[in-house]
Amino acid sequence: MSVQTSVLTDVSDVPVRLTRELPFRLIPRIETYPRLVSFCQTIPGQVVLLTVFGLIYARFNPNGIPLILCLAMLTWMPHKRHQLVTVSTLIFALLLPWNGIAHPLRYAGSIVAILAFCVTLIWSRTKWPQSWYGRNPATILIAGFSLWISAISLIPWHVFRMHMVWDLSIVFVGYIWYVAYILIDRNAESPRGMGLETGFLQPFWGAMYTPFPNGTAYLRQIEAKNPEQLAIIQLKGLKLLAWSTLILIFSNLFDLFCHGYLRIPDFALALSMSAQRTPLPWFVEWASLIVYFFEKVMGGAVLSHCIIACCRMAGFDALRNMYRPLSSTTVADFFNRYFFYYKELLVTFFFFPVFLKQSSRHPRLRMAVAIFAAACLGNSFFHFSRELVLIHNAGLWAAIRSFQAFFFYTAVLAVALIVSRLRRRKPLPTGFFRGTLCPAFSVCFFYCLLTVFAVVDHRFPLSVDLRFLGHLFFIG
Amino acid sequence: MESKQMIRDFLENLFVQKKDTRPFADDTSLILGGRLDSIDTVELLLFLETTFGVRFASNGFQREKLDTLNAIVAIINA
Repeated sequence: MSVQTSVLTDVSDVPVRLTRELPFRLIPRIETYPRLVSFCQTIPGQVVLLTVFGLIYARFNPNGIPLILCLAMLTWMPHKRHQLVTVSTLIFALLLPWNGIAHPLRYAGSIVAILAFCVTLIWSRTKWPQSWYGRNPATILIAGFSLWISAISLIPWHVFRMHMVWDLSIVFVGYIWYVAYILIDRNAESPRGMGLETGFLQPFWGAMYTPFPNGTAYLRQIEAKNPEQLAIIQLKGLKLLAWSTLILIFSNLFDLFCHGYLRIPDFALALSMSAQRTPLPWFVEWASLIVYFFEKVMGGAVLSHCIIACCRMAGFDALRNMYRPLSSTTVADFFNRYFFYYKELLVTFFFFPVFLKQSSRHPRLRMAVAIFAAACLGNSFFHFSRELVLIHNAGLWAAIRSFQAFFFYTAVLAVALIVSRLRRRKPLPTGFFRGTLCPAFSVCFFYCLLTVFAVVDHRFPLSVDLRFLGHLFFIG
Repeated sequence: MESKQMIRDFLENLFVQKKDTRPFADDTSLILGGRLDSIDTVELLLFLETTFGVRFASNGFQREKLDTLNAIVAIINA
């Protein structure tokens, strides 16, 4: 399981055991230096901190200056943090995308309409907590959106010149999981105002389809309560951004070495050649798959560390999204460490509802069914529902057919997670080789193979991926 | 054994498995504070169901209501 800690109770970011084993650190624990923490509570210290963060961040994102200005507002007016998060989010949502968008007014109009819709959903949930919708807001939202996708894909909107329906739906899909989290967070007995909630709708510190972090109730718990905590959290943010930069540099060198020096082809090319019945030699296919797997892990780490670093700079001590995934000793542990917030999303919206609906008389069956609902059905729904452009262009059934390899991937992943979770395992043997390296290697090998099916580019049917897999093992 | 102590022992054992050695008070936020993730929450649910017979399926489940040791004790005593 992930072993991350929060600054609100402890400044450690690494398990105690590891701090003793690893005295050397590539990036020192600057948040534990009392004089530095004190300095970062002063205006000059905050300016230096924000400047250093901005200079590093500018390497990642062209919106570095607006981001630093927003972070500066949040640093100097912490008592208005919730409102400023909302202001910053609106700036990033409405003003910054104007460069490079064909119809900026139409785009901004869509965002405003969807934000208004989201706020209405949240307001309705708060207003009528005992209604059918108020008691099951997230379930109704997800089910309603599924029905909506089915409905709009069957109606020829172009005949009615109603392209706006698709445009709005495509914008809304980016917000759906944020709204879902806010809706379940309103379960708290005394719902708060809308300040932080509106700011959490694709927050300015970085938005993917998966919310980082998971929900406004969590954000309220982890926000800095005093200047010292803010300084510590911001130093942790800077440290994480530095770590992200190091991974990015290593990733670029890795790419250069593998694709430039060793001339290992991209995985997409290897798969393409296999699809055309002119496969590359088996060892080249293995090499391209392994390189692709590591690129994917490093790419995920760079992006998610960057988002969490910005979130920490805003004063929220969020846990990392990815935490040493390659050291996982079980399939379930890897899933937890590789994409923590996505796993939390699946568990919250798919695992728990199914788990709680079942009888406790058959605990293992109950667990298996709930894991399948989350890892297979929820995972598939999450990825499929965000492909509205594909559904719009190709039609619902063609889009479902193009997802067959991904559905296979989620089914195999779910079975593996069930086995990993339910099997009665013996204690791991002691020793680095048998206790750590072998299990970690086996887990990485499994996920590396599964990566063959996890490519969501809809180009090839399942048979092509299976053929590629067979060729890796000299079959076919 | 007192139910509160049983729950505390269970949580401490869970934290030890996660190599989290920090102490926690009766009102420390465990779920929303990030010390218990969703999988740990499942373990906690199973423990409460099997040990105290709490029926979350019929009573409804809200993660906020299991957030602190005091809140958990309030649920099993309800």
